[in-house]
Amino acid sequence: MSKPRVAIFDFAGCEGDQLQIVNLEEVVLDVLGRVEIVTWREAMKEQSDHYDIALVEGSITRKSDEERIKAIREKAGILVAIGACATIGGINCMKNFQDEKFVRRYVYGDKAHWYNTYAARPVSAVVPVDANVHGCPINREEFVQVLKALLQGKKPFIPNYPVCVDCKKAGNVCVLLKGQFCMGPVTRAGCGACCVTEGAYCWGCRGLVDDPNMDAARELLGRFGISAGEAIGQIRLYDGYREEAR
Amino acid sequence: MGGDMNLAIIEKEGLRLFVAEILRQKNTVVGVKDQSAVSSIPGDSGFYTYAPINSPEELTLSFDVTLIPPKKYLLPAYEQLLTFNLSPGSIKADVPKEELIVFGVHPYDIIAINQMDKVFSTVPQDNHYLERRKRTTIIGIDPVKVAPRAFWSSMGADTVASGFDLMLTDIGQCYVVDVGSKKGASLLKMAPRTREAAPAEVKERDKVRAGARKRCDANRLSFSYLELPSLLDGKEEHVIWEEKSHLCFSCGTCNLVCPTCYCFDVRDDVSIDLKKGSRYRTWDGCLLSDFAQVAGGGNFRGHRADRYRHRFYRKGQFIYRRFGDIACVGCGRCSAQCPSDIADPVAVFNRLKEGI
Repeated sequence: MSKPRVAIFDFAGCEGDQLQIVNLEEVVLDVLGRVEIVTWREAMKEQSDHYDIALVEGSITRKSDEERIKAIREKAGILVAIGACATIGGINCMKNFQDEKFVRRYVYGDKAHWYNTYAARPVSAVVPVDANVHGCPINREEFVQVLKALLQGKKPFIPNYPVCVDCKKAGNVCVLLKGQFCMGPVTRAGCGACCVTEGAYCWGCRGLVDDPNMDAARELLGRFGISAGEAIGQIRLYDGYREEAR
Repeated sequence: MGGDMNLAIIEKEGLRLFVAEILRQKNTVVGVKDQSAVSSIPGDSGFYTYAPINSPEELTLSFDVTLIPPKKYLLPAYEQLLTFNLSPGSIKADVPKEELIVFGVHPYDIIAINQMDKVFSTVPQDNHYLERRKRTTIIGIDPVKVAPRAFWSSMGADTVASGFDLMLTDIGQCYVVDVGSKKGASLLKMAPRTREAAPAEVKERDKVRAGARKRCDANRLSFSYLELPSLLDGKEEHVIWEEKSHLCFSCGTCNLVCPTCYCFDVRDDVSIDLKKGSRYRTWDGCLLSDFAQVAGGGNFRGHRADRYRHRFYRKGQFIYRRFGDIACVGCGRCSAQCPSDIADPVAVFNRLKEGI
C-alpha cells in the first residue's frame, strides 16, 4: 500500500499549528514513515495538487479564500481543520464585531483598499470538514491521535465534554472553587486542562461543547460579578462565530 | 475483624516513627497533603489531595475531605489494561504489580471502597481492580474536622467495621488503633511502643467519634437513608429534575469526584506504524452528554434532566437493587465541587421527602 499523500495549507492564522507539527520532534520521523507530505508552504518548497488528506490551518476571511478552500476540498479525500482559527473561527472572528472598514484600515493602513476581507469564519462554514483538531495552538499528541485514526480508517475521537473532566482527571483544584473566572464548564476538553494545571484559567480556545449550557454560564458568571457582556466578550475571544456569541 | 479486642494505642511520636519506619522499609505510601504542596499553585492552599509521601512530616491526618477520593489508586483516571501486537497477533494483559499503602482514609471513603470491591468482584470480575485492591493496604483515620458539605453521619458512614487494615482515631495525646486485618497487624509491628488500649481510652475514642458525628449532623438528611429506595419510587416525573438540571453544565464533576462512581470508557491507542498498541480505560460519567450515546448517534439520555435524575436514582435505588448498597456515603464532594451548586444530595433528597 502506498503512503497516503498529505498536503498542509494555511489561511488566516498565525501558523502556530503548523509549527506544532514541525515540533513533533520525537515522532516526526515515524509520522513521515507513514504519510508522504506533498505540499507544505511553511516547511518545504515542493508542492503537488495530488493529495489524499488536506490539513488546513486558519480561518476563511476573504472571497478568494473561499474559492481556494473549495478547490482543496474537491481534491482531498479527507479534510482536517487544525487549530482554533480553522475549527471555530478563532481570534480572527473578533473583527466580526467591529466596523469592517476600520479594522481593515487599522491593519493595512493606506493599503487597506488592496484587501477585500469579510467576516472571518471557520473552514466548516464554507466546505464540509471531516475532522477537527481543536486548540490554540493544537495539542501535538491529539494531532497524532487524529492522524492515526485516519490511517486506520476510524473516526477520530474528539471529546464533546467540558474541560472540567480533564481537570478532575488531572487532580486540579477547580478554578471556580477558588473564586476565579473560568471558561472550563462550557469549553470542549481534550487539552488535558493544561492551562488550569499550570495555574491559569481556561480561556476557551477549543471552543464551546456541542450543547453548552449558556443559562448556567450566565448564572455562574453573575455569581462572580461578571456581566453578560463581559462573558460574551470572553467567548468571542475564540468562538465568536458561534451563535451563542453573537 | 475489628472489635475492641484488637484495640491498641500508639503515641503521637510513635506514629511519626511508625510512618518513618514504613518508608525506610521501601514501601510506597500515599497520604493526604495540602494541594499547594503538590501543584505549587499558591491559591490551591486549603484543599486536600492524596499524593506520595516521602517523610512523616508531609502527611496530614487532620484533613476534612480530599478533592478526589482514594479511588484514584484503585481505579486510576487512566489505566492501561493490555498491550497488543497486530502481526503476529498477540495480547498481553498489564497486571498491576505495585504494592501501596494509603495512609489516612476516612470511614465514608472506606465504605465506598467496600462497595467498589463488591461491584468489581461480581462476575465478570474486574481483575485489574481486584489486583490493585489486593495490593493496597488501607490505614483509616476517623475524621475530626468535618467538611462544610459533608453529611456522612446521615448515610451510616460515620464509622466503618471492615475494609481497613488499621483504623486510627486521634484522641488527643495518642491514637487508638483498631486492627482490621492480618496485614494490618503485621504492619503495626513496625510501630514502636504500642500497647493495649485502656477502657478509658476506648471511651475517649467513642467520645471523639460522637463529637464529629454531631458536627456532621449540622447538614443532614431529614429521614433515614435506608428509606431512599422507596422514597425514589414514583418520583421519576417530579419537577425537581427539570428545575435543578436547568443549570447543569453536563461537566461530570459530580461523577468524577464521587467515591462510589466507577464508570469508565475503554479506548485503544495504536502505534503510528499501526503494528502494535495498547488498550486503556479512563473515567467516564453519566452526567456527560454523550455517555449514553450509541452507534448511529442515538442517545438514551439526551436531555440534561434525564442525566441529572439518573445519578440520584443510581445513588439511591439502582445500586441498592443490584448490590444492596446505597451508593452515596455523604462525603459531600459532588455538592462542594459542582460549578452550579445543584448536585447536593441532601437538598434533593430532603425536598423529595417533603413531597413538594
